[in-house]
Amino acid sequence: MSYQMELKNVCKEYDQAKGSMPAIQDVSFALNRGEFACVVGPSGCGKSTLLKMAAGLDTPTSGEIRFCGEPVTGPHPKISMVFQSFALFPWRTVAGNVEYGLEAQGIPRAERVNSVQKYLEMVGLAGYSDLYPKQLSGGMKQRVGIARALAVDPEVILMDEAFSAIDEFTAETLREEVADIHAETEKTFVLVTHNLVEAVELADKIIVLSARPARVKKIMDVDLDRPRDKTHSEFIHVHRSIFALLKEELETTIARHRVKRISEFEKLSDLEAQS
Amino acid sequence: MRLGIVPGSKLPAFTAAVATLAFSLFDAQFLMRVAQSFLNLTGGILVALVLALPLAIFAGSRSRFDTTLTPLVMLGGALPDIALLPVLVLWIGPGNTAAIAIAAFSAFFPMYFTIREGTKDIPKDLFHVAAVFNTGRFDTFRKLILPAVSPQLFTGLRLAYDFVWEIVLAIEIFSGVTGVGSYISGAVEAGDITQAFAAILAVGVLAIVIDRLLFGRAERWIRRWMD
Repeated sequence: MSYQMELKNVCKEYDQAKGSMPAIQDVSFALNRGEFACVVGPSGCGKSTLLKMAAGLDTPTSGEIRFCGEPVTGPHPKISMVFQSFALFPWRTVAGNVEYGLEAQGIPRAERVNSVQKYLEMVGLAGYSDLYPKQLSGGMKQRVGIARALAVDPEVILMDEAFSAIDEFTAETLREEVADIHAETEKTFVLVTHNLVEAVELADKIIVLSARPARVKKIMDVDLDRPRDKTHSEFIHVHRSIFALLKEELETTIARHRVKRISEFEKLSDLEAQS
Repeated sequence: MRLGIVPGSKLPAFTAAVATLAFSLFDAQFLMRVAQSFLNLTGGILVALVLALPLAIFAGSRSRFDTTLTPLVMLGGALPDIALLPVLVLWIGPGNTAAIAIAAFSAFFPMYFTIREGTKDIPKDLFHVAAVFNTGRFDTFRKLILPAVSPQLFTGLRLAYDFVWEIVLAIEIFSGVTGVGSYISGAVEAGDITQAFAAILAVGVLAIVIDRLLFGRAERWIRRWMD
């Protein structure tokens, strides 16, 4: 029995004038069917790049990403995605946006209308089908984004900072609903986030990445009862230990920046001495 | 009705021009000329659209192509169209082809630049959505790029209709290409100033009618979804 999704020694390097810059180094982890995974790490560490590669939008420089045992070489009909920016087509109505992925799969119109209705109900937007994105709040836009991702009946849903552009109250409700949808649909979720409370609230498994270049710092299984109580001592304990891990990383990053600044400062004083 | 500031031989009464225009609406000769100008104009704009749309989308989405092509296009756009008229007439001869060619030339630039800008403004994530949901090349164009640039496309077309009327009239007046321009210069030469003004008025009215007919609906559609 193969894993639902598996990353094996994934590396990503970017070509730059000074040579290649590693962004992601040797990242490996595996997810079982129906697991909810959260990838956390310092900002700019390459979490989103990792997710793009899992979606087949980008390719690793070396290493491999497998879906149901098969290597991912491009977008896969059973892997779907939710974006931080919502990424709705402004000229399509709510229903039109949810329908989008189904059109590309060549599903007949009558069937599409049914699925659109079903998933709009699931995200609590029944009755909003004819509105345009500009008429919706951020939280509602993301509900459309989630319905669009679900509508193609994927096995894996990748979420890139899906709750980060929404006000906290709305985001909290939406997280609870996503947890319910996860329980109900038993699909595999991968959420990239920098919000640790969010990660502990949702995840079965948390993958903690290091500062750039991203490496796997730790993989933690979160074995707390659902729905999760943020005031529970176990919850706080898990949150604290991840926070401690990330704080180390933050400190390395800050130290690195200092070194960089000092060397820049030295260059500057050299120049001054010359003139 | 006259204010009596300018002698009637130089400037007809507005009411007289309107009256003459009203009569001219039943004059087949006049209508043919107006229609001819409109066809020159529209023909040129369509040619420009067919050329500008792919180039502008390409330039807007590939920065390497953009840095090569756009400076050249800027140079082309900076050339004075009116000064090109005699050269063009020399090459092609004073006919409707020359009018369409010059119309295409001056319509190309506003359309190129507006569509290129529109393409650049498409958020990257929308392309990611298209890719994640396995959208083919043609559908990416039809379902993403085309609707995304449509506001700029219509702005470009509107600007083009505005610019190009002048240039089409100019070639008709100066090179005797058949159209409402040569009708106006003919009327002036024949001393019929009222008829000339009626024709000028007709062009103005037609420009407004075209704008409302062609772009009114598009504008309402865009307003419905655009922020």
